[in-house]
Amino acid sequence: MEYLIHILIISGIYIILTLSLNLIVGYTGLAALGHIAFACVGAYTSSLLALNFGISPWIGLISGAILASILGAVVAYPSLRLRGDYLALATFGLGVIVYSIAKNWVGLTRGPMGLPGIPSFSIFGYQISNVWSYLILVLVFVVITFIAIRNITSSPFGRILKGIREDEIASQAMGKNVNHHKIIVFVVGAFFAGIAGSLYAHYISFIDPSSFTIMESITVLLMVVFGGMGSLKGSFVGASALIILPELLRFLGMPNSVAAPLRQIIYGLLLVILMIWRPQGLMGKYKFK
Amino acid sequence: MQMIQQLMLNGIIAGIIYGLVALGFTIIYRTAKFFHFAHGVVYAAGAYLTYTLFIFLELNPLISFFLSIVFAALLGVAIDRFVYFPLRKRKTSNLVFLLASFGVFIFLQNLLQLIFGAQIMTLRTGSVKEGHHFLGAVITDTQILIIISSLVLFFLCWLFIQKTKFGKAIRAVSDDPIGARVVGINSEKVIMIAFAIGSALAGAAGILISLETNIEPTMGMNAILKGIIASIIGGIGSIPGALFGGLFIGLAENLGIWKIQAGWKDAIAFVILILFLLLRPSGIMGVKTEKEKI
Repeated sequence: MEYLIHILIISGIYIILTLSLNLIVGYTGLAALGHIAFACVGAYTSSLLALNFGISPWIGLISGAILASILGAVVAYPSLRLRGDYLALATFGLGVIVYSIAKNWVGLTRGPMGLPGIPSFSIFGYQISNVWSYLILVLVFVVITFIAIRNITSSPFGRILKGIREDEIASQAMGKNVNHHKIIVFVVGAFFAGIAGSLYAHYISFIDPSSFTIMESITVLLMVVFGGMGSLKGSFVGASALIILPELLRFLGMPNSVAAPLRQIIYGLLLVILMIWRPQGLMGKYKFK
Repeated sequence: MQMIQQLMLNGIIAGIIYGLVALGFTIIYRTAKFFHFAHGVVYAAGAYLTYTLFIFLELNPLISFFLSIVFAALLGVAIDRFVYFPLRKRKTSNLVFLLASFGVFIFLQNLLQLIFGAQIMTLRTGSVKEGHHFLGAVITDTQILIIISSLVLFFLCWLFIQKTKFGKAIRAVSDDPIGARVVGINSEKVIMIAFAIGSALAGAAGILISLETNIEPTMGMNAILKGIIASIIGGIGSIPGALFGGLFIGLAENLGIWKIQAGWKDAIAFVILILFLLLRPSGIMGVKTEKEKI
């Protein structure tokens, strides 16, 4: 049972990541490939604050998210100048750079040794340490993220985002400030990804750079594409399906040396099949043109 | 002072391999016009096939090299046929190609890992010979072989693209796909040839590097990233640019670790890439018109 709850918690964290990436990729049509970098910043910020200064994880979570959104603003800068696959490459590069910092700045992050013993959240003196209470905490954040992103995308602001996705020049011609909107989208997306990273760190209580590789970013992007670009329901389905389905491999009794590559093989195959036959994903309304 | 010469030599070896990957990538990009990310896994597959033929089946090294290169070319053509061709027919955006290419990359890389295991392997059979002293650096026979055969491949490609009829067709399709079709060039055939040559080059690069270092399933990732960076720095589509960009990245990485730790290599390469994308997207030797598309 605990194992099942664990899977649900991980799915919840990935749903937050997928929803926030969907805002950038699905709604605004910006090819961002370094999403996990924001989660990395969130996770390390709140873990380091808690471990080195004994600061409450709640404050850590907020500071992590704010720092992530500052990074989001930095990442947004190339998005104002680059299009399509060049933007994908630049954001990919920023993902690699953040990973490199986590791995090589040993003085701050302890590098590949990771940070053990990250404390969990507590509410009114009650320590959230068992999986049930953590599941509730994660679900609260999933709901907050969902409501925030739904409100953004269904507002006039969200319509402009879809306008940028469909035809950037036309939106500009209508007098919309495209650059301003792109920066805000990156800042908001990064904020929630930072929260997801922090939730992950305080749940697992150990982080190391290997949780934030560029493959992880591609996995989150696959979740967005699988569920459906520009569909929030799709993000729920995409993230939970791609977390839960590979877990079934475990029940087939495969050793990890087979199950780990097999999981990636399924992901790779799924990405190819989706692109060829159903680029809009399961529930998406928007297709890559 | 010897340190810097050795680092420069290492940089040149790494750079020439990156350049070779970039060359194949750039030839494919010229005709097909998208980022063929799975190019990196073709490189790794070349190395692993050589391993299978040479170490496992104990074939003659030259025969195994030749067969591996042919296999790499076929693999590239197969990826194009089964994955990119349907996308091309639907006229989708570059991003769809890129994502499909990621999918192929992840699929094949993990297939390699499933078959051969994640541990590193080596093609080296004999004992390590002492290298020659050259301008204060030590260079081994293998390294001389790598440099000479890479330069020969670069020259042959340049001849092929500039002097032959097929090369002319490749240039025509890259300059103006519709115009090329009007004068009767079969662009699908040209793209197929570009994939065959480009992938053969990736396979050759994979074989050459496996003579020098160990091989592992994830080796393709580093190669393709540096290959893409090299071709963008050099100016995407340009053959001398691919060589130049490769050497630039190889030297920057290896001279960089003189002062900074080796772990920062990738970060250095990407910082250079992002600077180039923002400040000079057409690269050092690139054609200016590419700028509009970025």
